[in-house]
Amino acid sequence: MPSEQRLHPAAILFDLGRQLRNFALPGVLLLFTSSRGRANEGPIPGVPGWSAWMLLLIIPAMVMSLTRYLSFRLRYDEHELVISQGLFFRSERHVPYARIQNLDAVQNLVHRALQVVEVRIETGGGSEAEASIRVLPMSAFHEMRRRVFAGRAVPAAAGAPAADDGGGAVPAAATGDEAETLLRLSPRDLMLYGFIESRGMVLIGAAYGALWEMGLLEGFWDHVPGAGRYGRSAIGRVQAATFGQAAFPFELLLIALGGLLAILLFVRFASMVWAAIRLHAFTVTRSGDDLRTRFGLFTRVTATIPLHHVQTVTVRDGVLHRWMGRTSVRVETAGSDLQGDEGSDRQWLAPLIASEKVTAFLRHVIPVGDLETLAWEAVHPRAFARAVKPALAGVAVFSGLLVPLLGWWTFATLPVTIGWAVLATKRQVAHLGWYADDEVVAFRSGWLWRRVTVARVTKVQAAAVHASPFDRRAGMASLRVDTAGASAVRRIDIPYLDEAIARPLHARLVAQAAETEFRW
Amino acid sequence: MNGLLAADGAGTATPPPADPALRALDPRVILLDRAVGLIATAIVAGATLVVTIIVQAVADDLALWMRVAIEVAWVAFVGLVAWHGYHWPTRTYAHTRYRVDDQGIEIRRGVYWREVVNVPRSRVQHTDVTQGPIDRRFGLGTLVIFTAGTDYARVELHGLEHGDALRIRTYLLPRATPDAV
Repeated sequence: MPSEQRLHPAAILFDLGRQLRNFALPGVLLLFTSSRGRANEGPIPGVPGWSAWMLLLIIPAMVMSLTRYLSFRLRYDEHELVISQGLFFRSERHVPYARIQNLDAVQNLVHRALQVVEVRIETGGGSEAEASIRVLPMSAFHEMRRRVFAGRAVPAAAGAPAADDGGGAVPAAATGDEAETLLRLSPRDLMLYGFIESRGMVLIGAAYGALWEMGLLEGFWDHVPGAGRYGRSAIGRVQAATFGQAAFPFELLLIALGGLLAILLFVRFASMVWAAIRLHAFTVTRSGDDLRTRFGLFTRVTATIPLHHVQTVTVRDGVLHRWMGRTSVRVETAGSDLQGDEGSDRQWLAPLIASEKVTAFLRHVIPVGDLETLAWEAVHPRAFARAVKPALAGVAVFSGLLVPLLGWWTFATLPVTIGWAVLATKRQVAHLGWYADDEVVAFRSGWLWRRVTVARVTKVQAAAVHASPFDRRAGMASLRVDTAGASAVRRIDIPYLDEAIARPLHARLVAQAAETEFRW
Repeated sequence: MNGLLAADGAGTATPPPADPALRALDPRVILLDRAVGLIATAIVAGATLVVTIIVQAVADDLALWMRVAIEVAWVAFVGLVAWHGYHWPTRTYAHTRYRVDDQGIEIRRGVYWREVVNVPRSRVQHTDVTQGPIDRRFGLGTLVIFTAGTDYARVELHGLEHGDALRIRTYLLPRATPDAV
């Protein structure tokens, strides 16, 4: 094996392609707009003037791609990866193996045809990947993975206490290549996942936006039969009915409801297809101290997450999940690409998993027992009285907005809205809970959508107690536990704690964190 | 207020970095924050004065009593801002405490919304001590602690005596341990 690795020659093509994509949209728009006007002749016959001149802009892009290809070198030193590039401005980046949080490989159809791969190396710094290497031969990626994780595993096993590495109940496997499959999703599971986590709306929105952008939707509504009658005048008729000038158009209501139902069904269907393609053959394997997820039919993604780089684990399920006895598991690393980006698929540890298998699955990732039977501690007994007030204030504002629309009828809606607010708050407060032991701290919340976030004590960065004026009056406080890569929906922030519980718990967490050395 | 000041001893005495006592900030921070408040008040007063003048110029059929009322409202508003700028620093000062010990640093603050933040020493990534032009006149500085966290990726403590800030900074700096490797 050569100790210096160059890019695959196809890198020039991909690089050029990426740069051209930046021109693509303005280019297409120009073609469309200028072809509608009078085309003035440019250097290329048939192509209007300045769009052709834009081709000149490609030349610097070509030079840049070529330079990048020619100058790129990748070297494996004893403890670090050295990436050097640049012809005139040379840069040499040293990435210690131990600092690499995850190593991802992305292969789309073209990549696969050419047997190459795009590699992303993530370290703890910042929100972007430390290095994106486009593109390496497939064999070079395997080589990199072997070297990066072998280079790190040896000193880690020698120097660090094993308990910190989350071995848990699993016997410490050698860092060999024997991989244990923890989860494999069948197409049926994936369809179910697509059905539950409906992403279809995003797809349709994107498609609609793209079509509209290209002007293909112009005149679309004119071709829909009856659009004039039901579409344009519908709002006017509803308005007329609201102000008592005409009978309420019930047939419009039926059509609208039917349409809505059809759209909802279609969205779910699109989401199912999308999930089956995007997450095709989703597999999680464990080899030694690394977790590997692999998925994708067309664009194939391989993500490698060293187990001791896992910061938090979040188990989340909605009503549909629970009906079908499923749940989902997400993992947060310090090198997560975008903070709070729910759309990212690479943090899925299990997009869908049978509820009864979660405990066994989690044991590989974080030292925590069965989440259902964990000794959860409830929040303050008067938490409901606190929580219901903002909920009722919300109802008041909402009802206020309804008044101009419904008039006195607003009072008829109050039993429903107030009832809902009280019920939802009651259930939410009942499900709030926390758990802490020597190794982990966990927080659960939510009613319809439930989540449990578990963080290792060794990954706690800071802990804070907050007390608002309302908290202080009620003798309560909230406890916030900060970890790397936390986000709004995946953080540990326990509200409505009895102050007499919050402060000692805070002190205990701080002491535990202070005793342990933080290892990314 | 003064009771609180006396309780833990003011920050003027040089503290040994690691010391379980809960300490107050340097009392000069009150003057400093008032100076900043004064500047802010002047800017706000100037900007709102311009607004009242423009309003009166545009609406030229305004009755005299309206014009007087606008100016009175302006004076009251500026007075309120100035009063707040004068009093708020003493309140924040009275409610800010810190402690540096073996475990790390603890910062307590907040007049209405109270907060106690602890950053263990082993989690400090790096530290900064910054000093602006007004800070320099007062001999004060701001200690900034960086962690690998998210909400508390950056924890600031403003109003330490510059020498204290440097000493705490040196104390908190990550020790040479075989990190992560």
